[in-house]
Amino acid sequence: MKKTFLFVGLFIINCENLFAQVSTHQALNQAAEHMLPNPIMILPFVLLLAMIATGPLFYKHFWEKNYPAVSSVLGLVTVFYYLIFLNDYHSLLHSLSEYLSFIALLSSLFIVSGGILIKVDKKSTPLLNSIILFIGAIVSNLIGTTGASMLLIRPFLKLNQERIKPYQIIFFIFIVSNVGGALTPIGDPPLFLGFLRGIDFFWFIQHIWYIWLPAVLLIISIFYVYDSRNQVPETNKSYSGKIEFKGLKNIIYLLIILVSVFIDPAVMSWVPSLAPFPFGLREIIMFSVAYISFNRADKKILQSNEFDFEPIKEVAFLFIGIFATMIPALQLISHEANVLGEKINLSAFYWATGSLSAVLDNAPTYLNFLSAELGKFGLDLNIKVDVHTFQTTHYLYLQAISVAAVFFGAMTYIGNGPNFMVKSISERAGIKMPSFFEYIYKYSIPILLPVFTIIWLIFYFGRG
Amino acid sequence: MRTIDQALNEKLNGLYFGNRLILPFNVEILKIIIDDDIIVDFSSKKKGAQYNSRKDFTEIYFYDYKNLQDYVSEYENIKLVVVDDVKDLIDIKNHKKILVRLKENHIAEVEEAPEDIVFVE
Repeated sequence: MKKTFLFVGLFIINCENLFAQVSTHQALNQAAEHMLPNPIMILPFVLLLAMIATGPLFYKHFWEKNYPAVSSVLGLVTVFYYLIFLNDYHSLLHSLSEYLSFIALLSSLFIVSGGILIKVDKKSTPLLNSIILFIGAIVSNLIGTTGASMLLIRPFLKLNQERIKPYQIIFFIFIVSNVGGALTPIGDPPLFLGFLRGIDFFWFIQHIWYIWLPAVLLIISIFYVYDSRNQVPETNKSYSGKIEFKGLKNIIYLLIILVSVFIDPAVMSWVPSLAPFPFGLREIIMFSVAYISFNRADKKILQSNEFDFEPIKEVAFLFIGIFATMIPALQLISHEANVLGEKINLSAFYWATGSLSAVLDNAPTYLNFLSAELGKFGLDLNIKVDVHTFQTTHYLYLQAISVAAVFFGAMTYIGNGPNFMVKSISERAGIKMPSFFEYIYKYSIPILLPVFTIIWLIFYFGRG
Repeated sequence: MRTIDQALNEKLNGLYFGNRLILPFNVEILKIIIDDDIIVDFSSKKKGAQYNSRKDFTEIYFYDYKNLQDYVSEYENIKLVVVDDVKDLIDIKNHKKILVRLKENHIAEVEEAPEDIVFVE
């Protein structure tokens, strides 16, 4: 555990010292491609992540109004640095292309899911709620934690309207918005970034399902105990027992998005590359589907879902800043991992990825630690063959950070995009949600931390 | 005194200007949900909102939302739990859930919350 703290501490606080030592061999290798950025260039990234964490809590109205400008300006600082001082536009183009893939997937899933309405006219029971959470965990792997959260949170609230309590929404965030989405790259943004870097699509389900299943069942069992205690007096209200779906044509759109994930020249040789453009056929399909879906959506469904572009607009602006500012961090951490080498073990990677994913956004955190792991074994995150080699030869390392990045995203409201979205939808429905700190000390520490510790003890303690 | 039912039956709209929302009936307000804020304290002169019940309308001033249109988009609603001024506020049966949608030309469309909308009192 000490090593974890040491690693996290080094990562955040002491970047200058951390990156001061450069081995001659690696320096020559890097110099052959491009110069390493100055460690001070991590500051825009740290500043942006710190503002994302604190903005909605401590200076909400300033943040709501100014986050696009803040994110863009910090991103531009990095862009100018790379263009003017390093003369390296390859890294920028690579990051832009990754950003476009990322935002194409997220926005298309978000928009298409917003056009589907599910009405459940059943009596809320702990068993039914548990079943919905389990279905949500599966669905989040098919349409992403963002899509599944959008699709299911309103029927979940509606179903429980007579006995709604904040813990029910918190468990929804735990399962549907986070832990559930660990089986596919579509499930959670960090895994999709890993997929874009070269990890096989089905690697995740093959190597994570046996951790995912007990974790999901354990958290749902705890929910069941909580929910069984929440009894309300019997009323005369009658239920038809019907489950009604509206906007089903959007399921077809979802399927198109799902299939288009694979439409990549690196996955299918017949797919044309649109280089030098920083996007491909996949992104064009996703954006087109989103556009068509929204324009043909039933306005009544959009009204019932209170559809709003603001959440996805926020993700789009914040992540363009994140993708730009994290370039130096990724390059430096990958480089430094070569130097730290044996000092970082499997447990350190699990806890470091987890603890940072809890308080920072889990997508860039995942990439940083993936980069570090590859660096530890002398591999490069920017080379797809290296990533492919890594996923087979050191699968336990990849599994540890994949599980940690996705699971620990549930530890706070800011750990993963949908967490705040679900909180916001619940508050817009009139439910007073716990504060940032209440969420942590009342729910995530007593419920999730023991579960994640058990996972560590069984799968990673003393290994690697 | 114009009641909620009268206004809804006559399909009367409200109005909005900047941070001021005018509802076409005379009510006591118990709860307002705007953006992701839940306002139940109307006693402050600085935070949340303040409202005045007049003979045929009720006006609300939002302190934290200088221009309502910037915060409430096309498919979103301002939600209110209200009670007709002439009715017993204590009796929960008298509580009504109202949605307000902001349209062009300062028009605020008012309707009773339908079943589809998730709205917890």
